[in-house]
Amino acid sequence: MNLIPSEFVIGGVYFPPMLIAGLLGTAAAWLTAQLLNRYRLSRFFAYPPLVLLALAVTYTVLLATFVIPG
Amino acid sequence: MFLSRRAKEAIKTALAMAIAYYVALSMDWPNPHWAGFAVAAISLSTVGQSLNKGLMRMAGTLLAAAFSLTLIALFPQERWWFFVVLSAFIGYCTYRMAASERQYYWHVAGFVAAIVCMSSIPPTDNAFNIAVLRILETGVGILSYTLVSVLLWPSDTRGELAAAVRELTATQHALYGRYVQLLRGGGDPSETLGLRMQEVAQFNRFKAALAAARTDSYEVWEVRRQWQQALALAEEVMVTLEKWRESFTEVQTLELGALLPGIDDAAAEIDARMTGIGRLLEGPSPDRRPRALTLPWDREAVGSLSQFQKAALAVLRNRSLELERTTRALFETIADIQGLGPASERSAAPTPSPRLRVIDRDHLAAALRVMLGLWVAYLLWIYTEIPGNTAFVIMLAPFGMALATRPMVPVMAVFVPAISGIAFGSLLYIFVMPHLAGFAALGTLLFAVSFAVCYVFHTPRQALGRTFGLMMFVLVAGISNEQSYSFLSVANTALMFPLVFAILALTANVPFSARAEKVYLRQLSRFFRSASYLLTTMPWGVTTKPSRLARWRMAYHRGEIAGLPQKLATWGKAVDVTTLAGTTPEQIQALTTTLQALSYRLQELLDARESPQAEKVVQELLADVRAWRLRLQEVFDAWSRETAAESAQHLREGLDARLAQLEQRVAETMNRAAEGELDDADRERLYRLLGAYRGLSEAGLNYAIAAEGIPWGAWRESRF
Repeated sequence: MNLIPSEFVIGGVYFPPMLIAGLLGTAAAWLTAQLLNRYRLSRFFAYPPLVLLALAVTYTVLLATFVIPG
Repeated sequence: MFLSRRAKEAIKTALAMAIAYYVALSMDWPNPHWAGFAVAAISLSTVGQSLNKGLMRMAGTLLAAAFSLTLIALFPQERWWFFVVLSAFIGYCTYRMAASERQYYWHVAGFVAAIVCMSSIPPTDNAFNIAVLRILETGVGILSYTLVSVLLWPSDTRGELAAAVRELTATQHALYGRYVQLLRGGGDPSETLGLRMQEVAQFNRFKAALAAARTDSYEVWEVRRQWQQALALAEEVMVTLEKWRESFTEVQTLELGALLPGIDDAAAEIDARMTGIGRLLEGPSPDRRPRALTLPWDREAVGSLSQFQKAALAVLRNRSLELERTTRALFETIADIQGLGPASERSAAPTPSPRLRVIDRDHLAAALRVMLGLWVAYLLWIYTEIPGNTAFVIMLAPFGMALATRPMVPVMAVFVPAISGIAFGSLLYIFVMPHLAGFAALGTLLFAVSFAVCYVFHTPRQALGRTFGLMMFVLVAGISNEQSYSFLSVANTALMFPLVFAILALTANVPFSARAEKVYLRQLSRFFRSASYLLTTMPWGVTTKPSRLARWRMAYHRGEIAGLPQKLATWGKAVDVTTLAGTTPEQIQALTTTLQALSYRLQELLDARESPQAEKVVQELLADVRAWRLRLQEVFDAWSRETAAESAQHLREGLDARLAQLEQRVAETMNRAAEGELDDADRERLYRLLGAYRGLSEAGLNYAIAAEGIPWGAWRESRF
């Protein structure tokens, strides 16, 4: 596990790690939501929009802590 | 040189864009892209349409400037009060935008207030300059586009207006022909659906063309009041035709020719006057003028009918006369517009009783959502380092207002053109603009880009892509006299928009899911709650006197009943049936149609209830009407809780028994009434009321039948 802050370099442009974690976290949350819809598991949630937001935050925090530390 | 209309329109916008920039830059005004924004926003196909939109943009800018300067003067150092008032003003503009005919005026007033207020902090001493600059540059953009479109290939909207009204009246004539066939027992009701949808689209085109033609054609301006009246009458004909059709079901088994001997003559007369309207619009004066019709009953034949049959006939007659009145008035108004003058005395439309002003719940929700989004953005701007700074809060206003007033449009439908516009603008900004020198090169680039965007996105459906393409390009390019290039500003802009749209996507789901089927269910529930409440108001004036608050509540629920079927029709089209196994678009369409019928029937009942009834009739029927009303109220309550809670079969049994009892009581009352106790008007009013009871019961049954076929379990299931 690498906890040293690092930036992403794409084509010579430096991106903050939190931005990348946020984008990946949102994409992962969206993908999870699609899968939950596909297998009709979303019916167990009372308010899916809030679950989506919670998933996005959870994924972002996890990614920012363990995968892309900033 | 033969250029297509598409190329001509693109050249006009491109030229206006280059001129607007030239003027703003030569005056050394900061933010010349505001002039470019005005050109991008008002570029429409005719001078009138553009000028109309331009005037609304200017008026909205003036209102926003006056409001912003006052606000800054009142709260220069109090950030919370400052934003409380600003967000309340933008919320108010959103509410008015959703409810008003001058939608664009309120839209501009809202977001320009955000621009002037937020651009001038800190410090606040340049607020006046910003407000004046915004007004000046908006004016330059409007003037530039107007001059170009007046001088270069001018096109006025008069021809378009004439074509729009001709097409609308032709469709109404065709629809009338089909309905006459239905009344005579022929034809298929489902065949008229296409014509009805065409009629609504053509009516909206007529409305838009009239607003534009008033501005660009003196001939239309001269008779604008008559045109406005023609528009109102065309709408009235549209509604009356539907109400007329609704009254056919219960008279299908009757011998109409014998009961209303003049009905064929009346049908032929209305048909002839509709043909006459079409001829009038083409120019030559018609060979005949409309004559007023009375449609008398054959008392002997009517006497042999049951009470409900008499009532159904009274409803049909009433609506036929209403159709007669509106078509005659439309004919006379069109004749007046064509300079022929009304030959007969104009039939005066009955003045509707004044209604109390009520709040529209959906418009209020839209306003609150925009305010919530603005507050989230404002707090993020204050407490975090957000890309775009104040621009982040500013951008929430135009996009938030546009999306909140069209909630059925998915956020992605706006996000994709906006991001594409930014990507396109960024490429030009980074790779092309640094190589330019002088206005000749810059002007050529502005012309070429504007031409390309307008040429590619030329259809009315692509208007959003065209406006965003142009706006994002001028925003990202950030053209000024002392041009500088910064990758950071492009990156910040590019990053700001996904965050703005993320906030909009979140607020769209507050407090309930924005999925179309969920909104549909909630509106359906509201419809039946309002219907149930309105039934409870029926004893008013008979057994109780309503308070002012109760009358206001009634006005609110009447507004809900009248407006919700239209909203349900719009949301019904947005429902994604692929996720709802067992539901088809036709089922949703059929359900919405039954709700529209239910709405008409309930309004008919409330109107009939408002006409004074003979005291004897009221007292005799009180108990039976109450039994029927309570049963229906029970059903509406059940439907408001669960969509298809009451089966059609169960409902039919309960209502049929009560209606049969009511019919018998009416017959007894009529027979017992002494000579002179009930006059003809009393009898007619009673039949109208009875017809309304029956009609509402039938409409409720039709809804129950349509709702039974839909798998509501899938609709209620939670989904992302």
